[in-house]
Amino acid sequence: MPDTHFYRYDDYDRSLIAERVEQFRDQVRRRLAGELTEEQFKPLRLTNGLYLQLHAYMLRIAIPYGTLSSRQLRKLADIARRFDRGYGHFTTRQNLQLNWIKLEDAPDALAALAEVDMHAIQTSGNLIRNVTADHFAGAAVDEIEDPRIWCEIIRQWSTFHPEFSFLPRKFKIAITGSPNDRAAVRVHDVGLRLWRNDQDDVGFEVIVGGGLGRTPLIGKTLREFLPKEELLAYLEATLRVYNRYGRRDNLYKSRIKILVHEVGVEKVREEVEAEFAAIKDGALKLAPETIEAIARQFAPPPLRPKRTRVPEVEALKLEDRDFALWLISNTAPHRVPGHAIVTASLKPAGAPPGDASAVQMEGIADIADRYSQGEIRVSHEQNLVLPHVAIEDLPAVYKALRRLGFAEANVGKITDIIACPGLDYCALANARSIPVAQRISLHFAELARQHDIGDLKIKISGCINACGHHHVGHIGILGVDKNGVELYQISLGGDVDFGKTTLGTILGPAVAADKVVEAVDALVATYLETRRTGERFVDTYRRIGAQPFKDRVYGAV
Amino acid sequence: MAKNLSGDLQVASANRLVDGAVVFLDGAGQWTERLERAEVARDKRSAEILLERAKTEAFDIVDPFLVAVSEDDDGRIEPLSLREKIRASGLTFAAIAADAVRYA
Amino acid sequence: MALYREGAIEPVADEGPVPVAFAEWLKDGKAPAVSLANTDPVEALQPHLGGLSLIVLHFPKFSDGRAYSQARLLRERFGYRGELRATGGVLRDQLPFLLRCGFDSFESEQTGFGEALASARTLFSVVYQPTGDGRATASQLRLQRRNVRLAAD
Repeated sequence: MPDTHFYRYDDYDRSLIAERVEQFRDQVRRRLAGELTEEQFKPLRLTNGLYLQLHAYMLRIAIPYGTLSSRQLRKLADIARRFDRGYGHFTTRQNLQLNWIKLEDAPDALAALAEVDMHAIQTSGNLIRNVTADHFAGAAVDEIEDPRIWCEIIRQWSTFHPEFSFLPRKFKIAITGSPNDRAAVRVHDVGLRLWRNDQDDVGFEVIVGGGLGRTPLIGKTLREFLPKEELLAYLEATLRVYNRYGRRDNLYKSRIKILVHEVGVEKVREEVEAEFAAIKDGALKLAPETIEAIARQFAPPPLRPKRTRVPEVEALKLEDRDFALWLISNTAPHRVPGHAIVTASLKPAGAPPGDASAVQMEGIADIADRYSQGEIRVSHEQNLVLPHVAIEDLPAVYKALRRLGFAEANVGKITDIIACPGLDYCALANARSIPVAQRISLHFAELARQHDIGDLKIKISGCINACGHHHVGHIGILGVDKNGVELYQISLGGDVDFGKTTLGTILGPAVAADKVVEAVDALVATYLETRRTGERFVDTYRRIGAQPFKDRVYGAV
Repeated sequence: MAKNLSGDLQVASANRLVDGAVVFLDGAGQWTERLERAEVARDKRSAEILLERAKTEAFDIVDPFLVAVSEDDDGRIEPLSLREKIRASGLTFAAIAADAVRYA
Repeated sequence: MALYREGAIEPVADEGPVPVAFAEWLKDGKAPAVSLANTDPVEALQPHLGGLSLIVLHFPKFSDGRAYSQARLLRERFGYRGELRATGGVLRDQLPFLLRCGFDSFESEQTGFGEALASARTLFSVVYQPTGDGRATASQLRLQRRNVRLAAD
């Protein structure tokens, strides 16, 4: 098995995780013995990622910065098999959810996770959640610096933070190290964007108060340029201001975005900067040796430049049309010549988006060992990524992925749908998401047609909490409940790519569940008839506006 | 959360503490996974009593509540809301069928 | 409410001064003990901390964490050394956090609270955040190790 090229736990990290498992074991024991009420126990289980959903407990496992070793992925498969029903769901926050965990088994499942330096800490609760990053980190051509170094520094600082474990509401941080933001930093409580200033120094733009959910807002710049060594002090100042002044009177108004919205970013900045001034030269200032020691662990794998034009690849392209399409949609340029970043699509035609069985997880782990330095990433689009594949190995990787059902050439296309678990699993949902995604996926399954339609992101949420990110879908679909009937509200024009974050606009009245496919079909037809050369769906929408789409949909439905 | 559809017939439901499974209160005061064994309250007053009983039998379950149901001519009961239908009978798609699709 | 301090499993007697409400205390700033709501500005106490021997901070619910910030400001920014008491929604599973933020006495009705207090400092052998409790963080310990290693080489 190859060495890992990301942070490795040391004995300090391991002790803490092991002690946490034992603490939770005791808490579960006390709950089962009746010493803790459900009200007292609920926040304890939530901070260990354990929810009670419609039919069972759900365990949300943290995958920090979406990076996994093959060994870790095999362990996830093993846990899914031993403690669940043999499959899991990769989420838009780069986590893995197991849907059928028993409370009595949860401590053992967590102990098994700890064997591979994993946990479910802070995947729920009103605290700093698992920090997300660009899924192409460390491999992307356009990267200034690997954002995962900073995710790891924040992971440690935020883990069991004594002051910030009972915040007004959850707190999500995302980091991008590239000008092409693949981490959606403007729709997070705090988004961090690494950039290089005129003096050639790399630091962070700190963005605050973005978010989707009930009140979608795009984040505002809190600090234009923050020197890297001051990151933790600045975050501590921001969190302290939020902990003290964030609203707690109304669950729906308690995210930091509402504080920023109500008092204004200038006032928040004034408070944060005052707090920061008082602590910036204290113990949170990062020592160069500390940054260096963590950065070293993210040193890229020693890939040698290789040939970029490989006869076997060229030959297969001509011979196998699906492979040619797959190269276009499922591979991205790598910073080392002769290599590519491969996305394994967890969206085969008609499958629940983001689900993988234990067998499939193990299959991906094997492919990663053989062809991708033993490393796997989880993308916020609910796919898995093989970050370091040689171009000459692409035919073999394609074939291996096809055997797993993960070689659908649809990344970024209309069937690469993001969907939350919806009413089939989730206690909060109003309507189903997965069956809607399945129907759209089957309707548009033909690959050549998908490639003709081009880049089109459909995002589906089963309730206003927007776990399916419908606000930023080119086509957003929100399930609502009207007198016991599922209806779906369609919005157009959302976008989160390349730093141009835009929220979608509702098209018109919600449509019935059995009309969603027809409606999407009408939208696509309108686009195909009106598009100009090179225009994506969302570009055409921006040019011609909602009316032609509206006429077609409501004429058709 | 989907609102509970109104109806005259109600059963008491909850999730079992130890594994989260969906359970219903039967006539003997036991929690059962089988909806057909659930005690049905047929008017408002008996629904209140049923919920009170569910709350006193709550040691092994979490957050009991009432579910509106309908009853057909054969006495088969079914929840009215989609949410409760899904709770009672499971996913509306085949989770593992994903594999069948994938290995096709 | 039972009062707990480290060093005793059983509740201890409350023999100190009776705290006055913050608004009352503000009138002359002379009372030796004050009780704050979690929305009261701790900054106002700063000039008078020398005369205070007890500050009580309130958790309206255990899930309302504002008093953690108040506590750290009092201890770490303003250098308060007297008794810092947590009251209200105070549960044993919060103790590691409370101790790290500088609380040293606790009012709680929960059974097993005294036992939990006795082991709360050792429940986790590692901490990541520098706070006023003086515990060395994982990254400080790593730096020390590194320096020892470099010195040995």
